[in-house]
Amino acid sequence: MSIEVKLAFDVLAFISVMVLIVLGLGVIASMMGIFNFAHGEFVLLGAYTVYLFESFGLSAWAGILAAPVVLALIGLVLERLVIRRFYAAPIIAMLGTYAIGLVIREIVRGLLGGHYKSISEPIAGVFTVFGVDVSAWRTVIVLTTVCIVAGTWLFLARTSVGLQVRGSLENPNLARACGISTTRLYAFTFAFGAALAGLAGALIVPLYQLSADIGTRFLVQAFLSVMLGGVGTFEGPVLGAAAVGGMAAGLPWIVIPVLADPLVFVIALIIVKLRPQGFITQGRL
Amino acid sequence: MTDDQSHRPHHPVPGRPSGLGRRRLIGTSALSAAGWIAGGGGWMLAPKRASAADPIKMGIATDITGAIAPGGNANWQVAQFTVEQINKAGGIAGRQIELFLEDTASDPKVAVGNVRKLIQERKCNVVLGGITSAMRQAIKDPIVNRGRTLYIYPQLYEGQECTKHLYCTGPTPAQQCDKLIPYLIKTVGKKRFAMPSANYVWPQLLNKYARKVIEANGGEVVFEEYYPLDQAEYSATIGKIRDGKVDCVFNTVIPPGLQPFVKQLYESGFQKNGGVLSCVYYDENLLNYHPAQEMEGLYSCLDYFLSVDDPFSKQLQADYAKKFPDTKYPFTAGSASTGMYRGIKFYEAAVKATNGDLSRDAVSAAMDKGKIEQGPGGGAEMVPGKMHCKMNMYVAQCKVDAGKTRYDVIESQKMVDPKEC
Repeated sequence: MSIEVKLAFDVLAFISVMVLIVLGLGVIASMMGIFNFAHGEFVLLGAYTVYLFESFGLSAWAGILAAPVVLALIGLVLERLVIRRFYAAPIIAMLGTYAIGLVIREIVRGLLGGHYKSISEPIAGVFTVFGVDVSAWRTVIVLTTVCIVAGTWLFLARTSVGLQVRGSLENPNLARACGISTTRLYAFTFAFGAALAGLAGALIVPLYQLSADIGTRFLVQAFLSVMLGGVGTFEGPVLGAAAVGGMAAGLPWIVIPVLADPLVFVIALIIVKLRPQGFITQGRL
Repeated sequence: MTDDQSHRPHHPVPGRPSGLGRRRLIGTSALSAAGWIAGGGGWMLAPKRASAADPIKMGIATDITGAIAPGGNANWQVAQFTVEQINKAGGIAGRQIELFLEDTASDPKVAVGNVRKLIQERKCNVVLGGITSAMRQAIKDPIVNRGRTLYIYPQLYEGQECTKHLYCTGPTPAQQCDKLIPYLIKTVGKKRFAMPSANYVWPQLLNKYARKVIEANGGEVVFEEYYPLDQAEYSATIGKIRDGKVDCVFNTVIPPGLQPFVKQLYESGFQKNGGVLSCVYYDENLLNYHPAQEMEGLYSCLDYFLSVDDPFSKQLQADYAKKFPDTKYPFTAGSASTGMYRGIKFYEAAVKATNGDLSRDAVSAAMDKGKIEQGPGGGAEMVPGKMHCKMNMYVAQCKVDAGKTRYDVIESQKMVDPKEC
């Protein structure tokens, strides 16, 4: 019995990882209409920040706290210099962000010499609840994900800045007419999405070890999640990520593992076919 | 694997007459260490001393960029190191060796074009390199058949490569399994094996051989399963290991899929409950890809470990450390480096035997009977007509001291037969 609970918890932890990664992508896609192909590399930079802190002898916790700040700054600079030129052309935005991602990824690959780096968990080991050994760091990830999702939702749905963001999404012209600086808001939103990616990278890197491709591995599934959940809402991508993560971790129980990955896509595409607008159809935020 | 061709620099860096700038570029700069200086134009390392006879042209085709870059850069460094030693000692039959590098970029499509340059433009007398089996398959035809050139493949691999004029200097499945698996079953006492594997040719063929050895020794394979190379979640596998009462995991999952698997296996208490993990391609360098405690107790079987007690190997390491101080790319067995050293030395021995005749048939005939007295882990000897070599093999276990990993050699066997072709 205990092993089943433990493995169910592992699946939950993987779902949390997916949700963490998709959150930033979903926020930028939903609020700004930009499909950020550099998102995987923002995750990578978050992980790399923790590695840098560790290699300078600082605490990994400091690295995890610094990662979203560093990524927010990088996001802000990128938005001001590059991304803002793409708002009128979403296709070019995909290519442009892909190029940014490629540059970041290969620079990091060069700095790492192509190696993988092991980052140990700030809280290592397992603790025992009702006879079940639970990985401490996976617990931290699950709890943090719940807090971040709740916090982000409260921020977007309940604060005045959140209201302005949503207003600019609905009708940018009217928002500007009301005296809301949409350029500043977009810069802020992009930085916020980048910060979420940075935090995700910092939190998941102890589970996977740092390599230049850590973000790319999740990127395609993350886009699938956004598509599945529906662009234009906050809950959609989160639900989509939970569905994709659950399927990716659960299907290897039923079918041979090499089939699981394609099957996730097949199932997701069937759902998208049936519900083209995603799980959540209304732009309620 | 990643597609790296689009961002390679397009400015060739020509070989300079002095070794100074080049050495600094390769050895110390972080970016060049990833091979960014070896662009589309290739790269050469000319011997420093002028020599009466024409130099021997040796081509190295390896993965300087892309996913396999750590292995490829180690290969290139070992090639430079070995050739420098030979040249300093007067070359082969009075002729210096000139080295040419082409980046195969971890991508067989890019590789074919680049390797052709070694053959057609540089007119190399011999080509060494390739790490993955996909790479070997892609470049062997332009080298051996259309290029009519001798090819030496240095990596441990799945066996069954029996092309004429293609010599394999890394360990085969027989060399890696024949000692290790009986040891795991008879001495360590593990009977129930699981074979989690990455989904490509090396694990498939290695498992086929390993399964035979396991069953012949009274063990049992509980399951054999293949995963996408970058799978990130393994709870289903851990469940099967637990349900099947597996006590030995014979792993051929490779990074990046390997790290999450090993972590979940460790967290499930597999090792704590007496289970044993073995991974036949894991050398000292790869241990660093994991937290030390997850690697403790791991069994590996390779042609060389840093802890092998052999004066020649120790001297080799000391000289290598002198040429590449603080390198990111150590001289270990898992990334084809030992095979590269052996390959160059076999070639040296063969050309000595032909008295400097470089024609392929002559050198190949001499290679076939080739023997090298010394090397990392000991000497090696070609099995005539088989294009593979006998070498010493070592079973080792990972130990952890104060958070540092090392391998302790437990058993060794001299001149193990490759059993190929």
